[in-house]
Amino acid sequence: MAISKLKNMMLGMTCAATLAFGLAQGAAAEDWAPEGPVEFVLHTKPGGGVDVYARTLAKELEPIIGQTVVIVNAPGGGGATQMAKVRTAKPDGLTLGVNTVTHFTSMLTNLRGTFSTDDFEWIALSQIDPILFFVSKESDLTSVTDLVEKAKANGGEVNIGGFGPVGSMQNIGMTMLEEAAGVKFNWVAFESTPDIIAAVLGGHIDVGVSNLGPALEFFEADRLKGLGVLGEKRLGTLPEMQTFSEQGYDVDNNWLQVRGVFGPKGMPVELQQQIADAIHKAMATESYQTYARASGVEDSDFGPVEYAEFVKNLNALAEEQLSAAGLTSN
Amino acid sequence: MLETLAIGFSAFGDPMVWFALVFGALAGYLIGAIPGLGPSLGVALLIPFTYGMDPVVSIVGLVALYAAAEYGGAITAILINSPGTAAAVATSWDGYPLTQQGRTGEALTVSILSSGAGIFISTLLLIITAIPLSEFALRFGPGEYFALALVGLSLVAGLAEGSPLKGTVAMGIGLALATIGLDVQTGTPRFTMGNPEFFEGLPLVPVLLGLYALSEVLFMIEDGPSEKLKSAPINGLMGLPVKAILGLKTAILRSSVLGYVIGVIPGAGASIASFVAYAVSKRMSKTPEKFGKGSLEGVASSEAANNSAVAGAMAPLLALGIPGSPTTAIMIGALMVQGIQPGPLLFTKSPEIPYTIFASLWIGIPIMVLIGLAGAKIWARVANIPRPAIAAIVAGICYVGAYASHTTMFPVHVMTAFGILGYILRKLEIPLAPIILALVLGEMMETNFRRALISNKGEWDIFYTSPMTVILILIAVLAFVLPGLSQLRARRAKASAV
Repeated sequence: MAISKLKNMMLGMTCAATLAFGLAQGAAAEDWAPEGPVEFVLHTKPGGGVDVYARTLAKELEPIIGQTVVIVNAPGGGGATQMAKVRTAKPDGLTLGVNTVTHFTSMLTNLRGTFSTDDFEWIALSQIDPILFFVSKESDLTSVTDLVEKAKANGGEVNIGGFGPVGSMQNIGMTMLEEAAGVKFNWVAFESTPDIIAAVLGGHIDVGVSNLGPALEFFEADRLKGLGVLGEKRLGTLPEMQTFSEQGYDVDNNWLQVRGVFGPKGMPVELQQQIADAIHKAMATESYQTYARASGVEDSDFGPVEYAEFVKNLNALAEEQLSAAGLTSN
Repeated sequence: MLETLAIGFSAFGDPMVWFALVFGALAGYLIGAIPGLGPSLGVALLIPFTYGMDPVVSIVGLVALYAAAEYGGAITAILINSPGTAAAVATSWDGYPLTQQGRTGEALTVSILSSGAGIFISTLLLIITAIPLSEFALRFGPGEYFALALVGLSLVAGLAEGSPLKGTVAMGIGLALATIGLDVQTGTPRFTMGNPEFFEGLPLVPVLLGLYALSEVLFMIEDGPSEKLKSAPINGLMGLPVKAILGLKTAILRSSVLGYVIGVIPGAGASIASFVAYAVSKRMSKTPEKFGKGSLEGVASSEAANNSAVAGAMAPLLALGIPGSPTTAIMIGALMVQGIQPGPLLFTKSPEIPYTIFASLWIGIPIMVLIGLAGAKIWARVANIPRPAIAAIVAGICYVGAYASHTTMFPVHVMTAFGILGYILRKLEIPLAPIILALVLGEMMETNFRRALISNKGEWDIFYTSPMTVILILIAVLAFVLPGLSQLRARRAKASAV
């Protein structure tokens, strides 16, 4: 019931947005006006965070650009299938990809030599999604400081569970804290966030790592409590939880999960700017905003210049962290 | 609970859900009625069509197909002594003799009514027990999950009809295939031959399509178009006294409960349920001598149990994210395609999914029974469709389905390779179900084994200090050892008798 209601609501909003932008169109001559349908190539299967993001954005983008936006799911190869499709596409703006931080870490590890950030144009940053550390409501830990002290007392025997193997985005987040606090934790890799939450609730691991979205319901149900968030600011939805920096740990606050849009090398900068503008316009619509707030992500308005710079920094940071962990050689 | 059950029923306000239910039931009957094609294949074939659907619509269609295919096997079992599914084998033991006695209508009526009763009773059990199971599931840590996967694998002996050795070989193949891909803990590529396409392991849907469906096509090509099946005329479809049906209620009730319990155990599915229920009914019956010669009780027991196992297999799937049967193993893939992770949090995170499944199982019963009673005549003719046509349709769906899963050629090659592998394995009479089971459980077993050790400072005591882990490991060991022992004893008894 609730789901179909939300859908209807969203549909209504889409219609309203179509009207509004229909009127606005034609006013600015330099708006992005693709010649045909635009493909968004994803590295994941249907369903899941990236897919939902791309489909929500596509729905709002269509009336703005006057073309259909087709979502192409190309999972496999840890992103390799998708990146190959994007790299070989014509740089005409009709084939775009959606990326996360995983793209950068895998280009430095498993896919090193196969793909590099220079193979692509980094067009627009759309979402930033800080990671947070959390424990079960019953846990005696209440802050990052408690966690660090427990690790010191137990000689590093604190189990922290997060998404992906050693060298994954969240694992690097943990190693940053290790360096800042001068302790060692025990990384337990999981393949899905619900599994991490279940393990925390069942007391099988001490601390869980996740983005806010999948854990939000459990915070609201008062079954989880947050220790800290890795980011510049506190989260709007959980304002009591302090950042790592606030608690005195000097971590790099740019280590954030991101969702951005990229394309094949050689795309004119003007076209990239037009695409970025259209995407940010679509993000301003009410139904996109409803979705983004519900999933706990923050918006970014970075265009091609800022995003390319951001990617450069992120890549350098990832390289540094991965080589420190001895993971870049293979 | 009633409130959430209402959510499930409210899904049926959407006409698309009704369409999925009826379509799934019809497709299930067809697939179940065609010998060689079973519920696992049917579900695997339907998955590519669910990509763009709403999760609720797609799951209703898949569940309806699963339940109907589990029944559909009975039709050809009764009519032409050729069970459409392994679970209908026990049905044919009494169903076909009834046909030979000119009592086809009675047999079909009893089979469809006891199937319906089986689903009704087992769904009730599912609604009552799935929630406690899912709260209990939070206590499952990596050690318990490892032991649970071990229990699932130990039942391979039951899944493999025939030689336990061949079942073990099949399981070994599945376990070996499960190691392909990036190491979950360290990210190291394993057996990928430097090809990033293998990073995420073998894609499950193309493997299933190849092993089950494409290999069947190869068999059809080999058999050629000559084979003609003849269906017997049907009479007296409704001509069964109510008293005769009421007389079967004890057998139906007992078999439904048995079927549910066996269905819940991961790895044991509908075929084992029907064999066990048939055996128990024969032992408890007042007229055991009729069994095998046209006993309505036999038909009722087998059909109530194999349909009851459908709901049973759903319980661990919904509550723990562990498949209770090969078909539900494929369904995990279907749910994951929709972004729904079956696991301990399903009831908390997406309650609409389990409750819609409960509702659709119940709403599906009258639809199934009606279609079954009205359509029995037509279903029998399905077996008469020319083989070349069936082969072409199935092959087409295989290739399109594999391509659609990744929109690249890689899964198409995987599907083709596994089609050929499946053909060879079936020629060698190596069962396919243990391969799929091991492929699905192997990853769960390895991941949790290593997760348990990592989170326990590398100490092994995590595997013997938790009572639940110990009990599960003991069950697994017994399940591996007992069938071998009883076989040995039977062989010795035979030898001494000679």
